[in-house]
Amino acid sequence: MSPSQITVVLFGLGLTILIAWYFWFAPKAQTRVAVSASGAQEVAITVRGGYTPDVIVVQKGRPVRLTFTRQESSACSEKVLFPDFNQNANLPEGEQVTLEFTPDKAGEYGFQCQMGMLRGKLIVE
Amino acid sequence: MTQHDPVCGMEIEPQSAFAKREHMGQTFYFCSQSCVDQFDKDPHHYMMTSATTGFNPQMTLTRIELPVSGLPLKDHATHLESTLRAVNGVAEVKVNVAANRLEVQYDAGKVDVSKLVGAVKSIGFQVGGTNVKIGIENLRCASCVKFIEDELKSTQGVLNATVNIATQEATVDYLPQNTTLAELNKAIETWGYKSRQATSDAPVDKQEEAHANEYRKLMNKFWFAAAISVIVMITAYYQIVPVLRDLSMDSLRLVWGVTALLTLPVMFWSGSDFFTGGWAAFKHRSANMNTLIALGTGAAWLYSTFAILFPSVFPEGTSEPFYDVVAVVIALVVLGQALELRAKGQSSSAIKKLLGLQAKTARVIRDGKEMDIPVEEVLVGDVIQVRPGEKVPVDGVIVEGSSAVDESMLTGESMPASKKMGDEVIGATINKTGAFKFRTTKVGKDTALAQIVKMVQDAQNSKAPIARLADTVSGYFVPIVMILAVWTFVVWFAFGPQPQLVYALVTSVTVLIIACPCALGLATPMSLMVGIGKGAESGILIRSGEALQTARAIQIVVLDKTGTITKGKPELTDVILGEQSSVDSDQLLKLASSVEKVSEHPLAQAIVDGAQARKLKLAEVKDFEAIPGHGVSAKVEDKNILIGNLKLMNRENIALGSLEEKSKSLADDGKTPMFIAIDGKAAGIIAVADTVKEDSAEAIAVLQKMGIEVVMITGDNRRTAEAIARKVGITRVLAEVLPEDKANNIQQLQAEGKQVAMVGDGINDAPALAQADVGLAIGTGTDVAIEASDITLIKGSLKGVVTAIEVSRATMTNIYQNLVGAFFYNVLGIPVAMGLLFPFFGVLLSPLIAGAAMAFSSVTVVGNANRLRGFKPKFTAR
Repeated sequence: MSPSQITVVLFGLGLTILIAWYFWFAPKAQTRVAVSASGAQEVAITVRGGYTPDVIVVQKGRPVRLTFTRQESSACSEKVLFPDFNQNANLPEGEQVTLEFTPDKAGEYGFQCQMGMLRGKLIVE
Repeated sequence: MTQHDPVCGMEIEPQSAFAKREHMGQTFYFCSQSCVDQFDKDPHHYMMTSATTGFNPQMTLTRIELPVSGLPLKDHATHLESTLRAVNGVAEVKVNVAANRLEVQYDAGKVDVSKLVGAVKSIGFQVGGTNVKIGIENLRCASCVKFIEDELKSTQGVLNATVNIATQEATVDYLPQNTTLAELNKAIETWGYKSRQATSDAPVDKQEEAHANEYRKLMNKFWFAAAISVIVMITAYYQIVPVLRDLSMDSLRLVWGVTALLTLPVMFWSGSDFFTGGWAAFKHRSANMNTLIALGTGAAWLYSTFAILFPSVFPEGTSEPFYDVVAVVIALVVLGQALELRAKGQSSSAIKKLLGLQAKTARVIRDGKEMDIPVEEVLVGDVIQVRPGEKVPVDGVIVEGSSAVDESMLTGESMPASKKMGDEVIGATINKTGAFKFRTTKVGKDTALAQIVKMVQDAQNSKAPIARLADTVSGYFVPIVMILAVWTFVVWFAFGPQPQLVYALVTSVTVLIIACPCALGLATPMSLMVGIGKGAESGILIRSGEALQTARAIQIVVLDKTGTITKGKPELTDVILGEQSSVDSDQLLKLASSVEKVSEHPLAQAIVDGAQARKLKLAEVKDFEAIPGHGVSAKVEDKNILIGNLKLMNRENIALGSLEEKSKSLADDGKTPMFIAIDGKAAGIIAVADTVKEDSAEAIAVLQKMGIEVVMITGDNRRTAEAIARKVGITRVLAEVLPEDKANNIQQLQAEGKQVAMVGDGINDAPALAQADVGLAIGTGTDVAIEASDITLIKGSLKGVVTAIEVSRATMTNIYQNLVGAFFYNVLGIPVAMGLLFPFFGVLLSPLIAGAAMAFSSVTVVGNANRLRGFKPKFTAR
């Protein structure tokens, strides 16, 4: 093998490790939600190519109020679903849409767009 | 102090005003002659003194009627009266218990409507006002907000009004009996603004509009990318293009340089979503389809640009660009997205159809006057007139008249249902023959139709368990594809034929482009949406994707007897004469029903109804006596009549002869026989029974043909139960089951390792419905939101069970097709793109074909889901 081939193989190995680490193993930033005066845990989420923030930590037993604002016209993100809580909402572009429910069991629950391209996680503690 | 011109709203200094007027103790200033003229025409209109009601304080007392609800008015009337009397300014309070209305006379100078409403609410009542959102076009100035709010508040009947400049909407609480939407619109229009329907109230239309916009945008992007693609393709295949093939390498590179610049707007305008979306996902440490397209086209563009800028770095023959890949792939994928959007629009047609059923207006009778008002303004308690051929606007109970109503749109039942006084009518159904008036019981969000729409929408957006598998897969899918692309590159570079770099790059870009996580992600939700919508069209409300999936694999269907297989109401079945009877059977029935008319026994009504069905006139009854545990005795037309069981006949020493035998055989058939004696002689038997619904046997036969075991469960005694079971073709009967044991029995069936569905009425059977793998509740009419059930059959027919299972099977088959298709597409496509076929057949996939395949794989999934729309249940509703 020529030096350039060896370099490419090594480069491929390195890139593989990097991809695996970046997408699967690196710890993700979590957003902890503060409890507002009304007793609800309120968080505003921007929808644009993804959910920002996308990992949301809440406490169980308290109502969670998520306000979504979709800032893109791509039809992919026009709905947001919380299948574990049987909650869903249409997100018209530019409008604030609020979903409210009370998680009463600790655990990790995914939320996503209708076809699962955009994903986020609700961690209930 | 500056004042407002009451007509145009302009701010003016009193001293520089054009004119001034005094009206009812108030001074008004005007900016121009036309404003004064308008004011003079109707000065009263511009009074804004009492902000909330439009009543002037100078008029001594104001009277208002408030519809109240929430508590039984009968029990709390005095409390309500005293609470209101205690409010300063209230002069007179009258509570109309029957109409659920409250009449208050008050001094508008001391108290306003919102205070009265507050007082009523403070003791637990609700005020039956209604709330409406009105859009206001081009609302820009913040100061106008206040004017419009005041104008609305001064409109008679308005309880409160707020205007939101951000959403350009006014939210108005008002009493619809005192004003109409048109009045409110007029109030807004006096300030020179145009009102429109509030956007947040029309989600479906809005979504459709958003889709149409997005489609146009995507198509523009596509046409642009396509046009550039043509130019780029010509330069890419320069060898066969007359002028280009004669150019020198250096001039060719110049041409390519131009195409490099041309493809930039394709990438960053036509394909902007891929790059922004891919980047947004990357920031969130996730990757999706956008990432793959962005990486693939980005890599192709970068390589090409390097190759033409620094041709000497690359080995001979590898310095040709791939701008065609960039432009064509983006054009195709954008086109795919546009087509997918269009197909998606069709998938949600069920909801549109349902919403289209809603009547637009209602003819309400208020204060003895008929008026047409928008259906949104109808209140609970209103009386509505419906003429033949008209739609019933909301849910209610008939108070006058009778008719046949076509309920097929909601229940799937093709025969019009006959309705008389006291019967429920459902909004959106069509009145066929007669005219009637009904009192509304449910309006707005509470109507059966609105609840159906909500339920269907929720279910369509829920998740089938099978989708979780697809989700897990697609969570890992994209990074795996990226790693595969890296190794494709490495392997081709290290072991591939010359020119290695070109092969390595083309194959890895092809891998990135052909992989289609979208097809996987779309597979389940699209079919679910169509399938659940299809169910709704046939009167079957499937609550969730999970219920839909489970229903497919049902092996045992347990049917509750009473109300599910049978009508749940006893009916007259037999009239048998004794040998020595002195009367004929009509006379016998007439005598018996005359007596039973007085009786309160539950079976008595069945006999009376039976007599009425034969148009018999009832006679007068004297000396009626109930003999507990035996029967009744009475005198009719000077005859002594005895009706009762064997015990009664024995006690009175009446010889029954062959009647005793006949009564036994009736009892064997599950009927309840009653002996009748006239003047001490046995005259005959009348039998009543809970009869089987006309279509039960047919539906059960179809279920059995589908390979499903049908079991009957009932609290009745075994003899009656088995008689019914024989009639409908059921062999396995669980009889004498206490209501609380029904759930246990279901559990025992499940212990046989079978998937069990329970069909019941949803009230008594709630625990059993919940215990079953799938609970199907039989609802009637307006009762659609039956909590314990997974599936609600709006019409009481068992055919609905068959249709529910059919819908489930068809949908699940469709989902499997989609999933398997999407899975195999990726499992086959990616290795081919990697060049696995190359060593054997010398075949390599062009990235252009990969782009086309990827774009159309998701369109195919949506298209296949739409095929479900053509699904026809066995028992077609119309």
